Amino acid sequence: MTTFAELLLNGVSLGSVYALIALGFVVIFKATEVVNFAHASLLLAGGYVTAVLHDDIGFWPALLAGVAGAALVGAAVEFLVMRRYRGRDHSVLAIVTIGVDILLVTELTRRIGTNVLAVGDPWGDAVLTIGSVTIAETRVAALIAAGLLITAFLLVFRHTSWGVAMRAAAESAETAALMGVRLGRVSLGAWAVAGGLAAVAALFLTVFPTPGLERSTSLAAMKAFPAAILGGLDSTTGALVGGLTVGVTESLATGYQSDLTFLGRGLGDLAPYLVMIVILLVRPAGLFGTKELARV
Amino acid sequence: MSDAPGTTVVAGRGAPPAKTALRPAWPPRPRTYLWIAGSVLLLALPFYLDRFWLQAGLFAMAAAIGAIGINMLTGSTGQLSMGHAFFLAVGAYGYCAFAGDGGDELTGLGLPTAVAAVLAVALAGLAGGLFSPIAGRLRGAYLGIATLALIFIGQHVLFNAHDLTGGFNGRDVPPLNILGFRFDDSELVVAAIPFGSAEKLWYAGLVLLAGCALFARGVLRGRPGRAMNVIRDHRIAAGVMGVPVARYRAAAFVLSSMYAGLAGVLLALVFQRTVPDYFGMVLSLEYLAMIVIGGLGSVAGAVVGAAFVSLLPQVLTRYSDALPLVAESGTGGVAPGEAARYLYGAAVVAVVLFLPGGLIRLVTRRTAPPKHPDKPTPGTPGPSGEER
Amino acid sequence: MNAQTRTHRARRSTRAAATALATLLALGAAACSSKATDGDDGGKAGAGGVKTGDGVTDKKIPLGALTDRTGVYATLGKSVTQAQQLYVKQTNAAGGICGRKLSLTVRDHGYDPQKAVAAYTELEPKVLGFAQFIGSPFVASVDGRIRSDKALVIPQAWSADLLGNPYVRVLGSTYDLETINAIDFLLKEKGLKKGDRIGHVYFEGDYGENALAGSRHMAKESGLTVVEQKIKPTDNDMSAQVVALKKAGVKAVVISAGPRQAASLVGVAAASGLKVPVIGNNSAFAPQLLATQAGPALEKMYYVSTPSLPIGDKAEGPSKLAKDYAAAYPKDALDNGVVAGWTAASTFGEALKRACKAKDLTREGVGKALLTMDSYDTGFGAQDFSDPQAPSSTESVIIRPDKGAKGGSSVVREAGTAAEAKDFTPGED
Repeated sequence: MTTFAELLLNGVSLGSVYALIALGFVVIFKATEVVNFAHASLLLAGGYVTAVLHDDIGFWPALLAGVAGAALVGAAVEFLVMRRYRGRDHSVLAIVTIGVDILLVTELTRRIGTNVLAVGDPWGDAVLTIGSVTIAETRVAALIAAGLLITAFLLVFRHTSWGVAMRAAAESAETAALMGVRLGRVSLGAWAVAGGLAAVAALFLTVFPTPGLERSTSLAAMKAFPAAILGGLDSTTGALVGGLTVGVTESLATGYQSDLTFLGRGLGDLAPYLVMIVILLVRPAGLFGTKELARV
Repeated sequence: MSDAPGTTVVAGRGAPPAKTALRPAWPPRPRTYLWIAGSVLLLALPFYLDRFWLQAGLFAMAAAIGAIGINMLTGSTGQLSMGHAFFLAVGAYGYCAFAGDGGDELTGLGLPTAVAAVLAVALAGLAGGLFSPIAGRLRGAYLGIATLALIFIGQHVLFNAHDLTGGFNGRDVPPLNILGFRFDDSELVVAAIPFGSAEKLWYAGLVLLAGCALFARGVLRGRPGRAMNVIRDHRIAAGVMGVPVARYRAAAFVLSSMYAGLAGVLLALVFQRTVPDYFGMVLSLEYLAMIVIGGLGSVAGAVVGAAFVSLLPQVLTRYSDALPLVAESGTGGVAPGEAARYLYGAAVVAVVLFLPGGLIRLVTRRTAPPKHPDKPTPGTPGPSGEER
Repeated sequence: MNAQTRTHRARRSTRAAATALATLLALGAAACSSKATDGDDGGKAGAGGVKTGDGVTDKKIPLGALTDRTGVYATLGKSVTQAQQLYVKQTNAAGGICGRKLSLTVRDHGYDPQKAVAAYTELEPKVLGFAQFIGSPFVASVDGRIRSDKALVIPQAWSADLLGNPYVRVLGSTYDLETINAIDFLLKEKGLKKGDRIGHVYFEGDYGENALAGSRHMAKESGLTVVEQKIKPTDNDMSAQVVALKKAGVKAVVISAGPRQAASLVGVAAASGLKVPVIGNNSAFAPQLLATQAGPALEKMYYVSTPSLPIGDKAEGPSKLAKDYAAAYPKDALDNGVVAGWTAASTFGEALKRACKAKDLTREGVGKALLTMDSYDTGFGAQDFSDPQAPSSTESVIIRPDKGAKGGSSVVREAGTAAEAKDFTPGED
């Protein structure tokens, strides 16, 4: 039972980090209907800025700088690349983000080189013990931070004019534009927000239990793909549920791999995708995604 | 391979003397000469190039076959696939399993290699067919990421199904043997040039690529191609016009998987050993980059893009010592591998922004004859459904 | 003359022209293609009456290095390559070998099979042999060609799967032997005893699975039970693995993964109360880790089994290399990759010297010379290359992370071979 509780708790806290990344996907998708494959590079950019600056300016300012930096990179991608595309095929734009990702990740990994960069967080390797269950403090922090950010985001989304504009743009871009919504500003904002969220996620992906930021950190963004999809690409609630599902699935599949050997060992990476496929078979637009209404 | 409609060909088939021909068939257009010169050059290359270049060319040919396939799926029908590498793996490992004789303690049916190659392609098509119920239900990004799952499943199986795949170190690929002619390193001397596996496979690759390109061109220029484009540009309208949307989408998936399977077989033959590391996500992304760089929906574009993406890193690595910007790896400068990645990442972005239609547009724009008014050039659609 | 016949004639003449052209080219090929067989392959007598071939001239001995500078093994690739370039520079400064200068052509494959095979194809005709080849799947994928090309290849991997090819020579003990020696250390010095359970966290792939073969062998011999946890190189957080190992009640853990996984595992284990010794293979440690959160825990409970002395050792070989390397590359970390690269290059160099003495600097000559090296000391441990089927050593040194030492590690147990390793044939499960 302790084992299960520990694995579950681990999964939930990891899942909340994935939810932050997935939320970034969802925000961009809602505003522009583009799947952003460059998300991994935003994550790496945020983490890199934090890791490089923390020695000189302290952890919290460095984190802020990281968030700002990743937001800036996101906005730059939108302004310099996405906005310039004149066609309307969103698959082509998705492939463009792959190109952007290759560029940014190559540059960042070249800078990181062979180092493992510490981010200088205040939690260290401290753990909390509740009964017989132990969990790293960083994970608790991740859970709280993700919860706060996601709630804040939902509120902003409902109650501010930017949120309304974005929902309108998601509903129908043309109508929104006719109503005076500045689509460019909405999508610029979405990319910046996604960048900022990714930077926070990067922080929690590079602190204890992981040794630090290094070139393969960006691969964690791959886990957020199934999270965003199985929740529904245009649903913020979906991102949260999807993230948690992926985190818990991964944690349980790893922790109980000795009992699942008939599937081959090392299932942790694969399990989220299997869950995603099953969910998509039942609900092609994810758990909370908007179903397409047009029928022929 | 693209639009060289060449009136000479039409007339040569014994069609009635074409009154519509706008220009006399003789002398042939400069384009025709270009094609002849190109073909002769390609046929002569094995006599001059060393194994490195032939192998690079073969990688490019295999990539071109795979790229033509994914271009029919993603470029022409609008179904985003990130799982192409999975179908390549099915082809490559399928060939090994069908042709292997079990001598290396791995499952092998010991079939004649030519039969095994055909079956491997069919198997890849079958895999595509099995996935198409899922593919049929999903659209756009959902489909793209669902196909990503295929990569992870594929990698898991390749690493874990030891008896079939040989695990992490892969398995040997039996050399192709058609009617007693073996495509292996057993030496054959043609005009004083020793022919090893690369030289022999070069011709097999050319034949396969030409066949695949012609077939794809036929599909894309005919009724099915138009139907596929309508589905991409406006799915509902296609349905209203009576195009069986679901069937076409499934068929495109199967066909593209078969192309991938064939590319996998050819790659396996070139590699002489298949290893699972190759068939990862990076490979899938490279194929998407190829078709965007070359030109979406165009057969010639896929070939150009494939050549660009697969030759670029090899050329840069080979001449890394001589290139000015590229530093010897590790001296703090840009390593050749990194330079290649910068270039092709930038190429993807630049092509989409500044050259909608891909590199192939550059070529066709410059040399294409004025279009026949009632016969627009198919195969090179705009960047997307601009007229949706 | 109507259009049709005109076209026909046109087609016929084009086709004839094309055929003629192709034939001409093909025949011309014989005359002017550099590929034409000249029937004189190697074996020429060069300066000093030494038989040469395969790229060796009177001035130069070309070697190749197939490395990874931009992929998953970039850390290893950087140290190995720089150490080898240092060896070449020093050797040439001292007059070279056999009156000839060494040259090392480096190709970065970024851990991509296609680029690795391409790089092998490119360099093979130009070099005498390969002092470095990172990525055992790629070595496996050109295995057949290495056998027919007969060029000596020293892979920077220690998997027993690489054994069996007489031209691919693993330098030092293989992962399975290394793991047996590691568990022997746990049994003798860390209180592990018969009936205990040990955890083994290992990478998918030949490294991890070869090491697992070692711990399975040891478990059978010493009455231990192995609790297996397979991971992927992309897994960086070992929390779930630690939970599972804790549940299984392991008394020690072996880790056959990368440095990051080791750091995460040790950090989580220490923090969550799994206070047992952890020992890793030589690829599971990098000095950079000591600066991370897991640093103190690593120093307290982590050990590493390696085939050679660490670079920070006081012995003559390591301290000279450490000094020279730090002088040549002041900004870069001193790690075991430096040792691996250096020993491989110096082994190759020694084989060349012996081949020179035998007046045969061909691939065959180098291969024969290597077989005579039955107790060659690289300065980091004795190696025996006389058996082409066996790794060059069965010994392992046990080291521990040590912030104070150069290269971040110091020796806890000198080189030795466990009794259980002596009757063990690497590569047999």
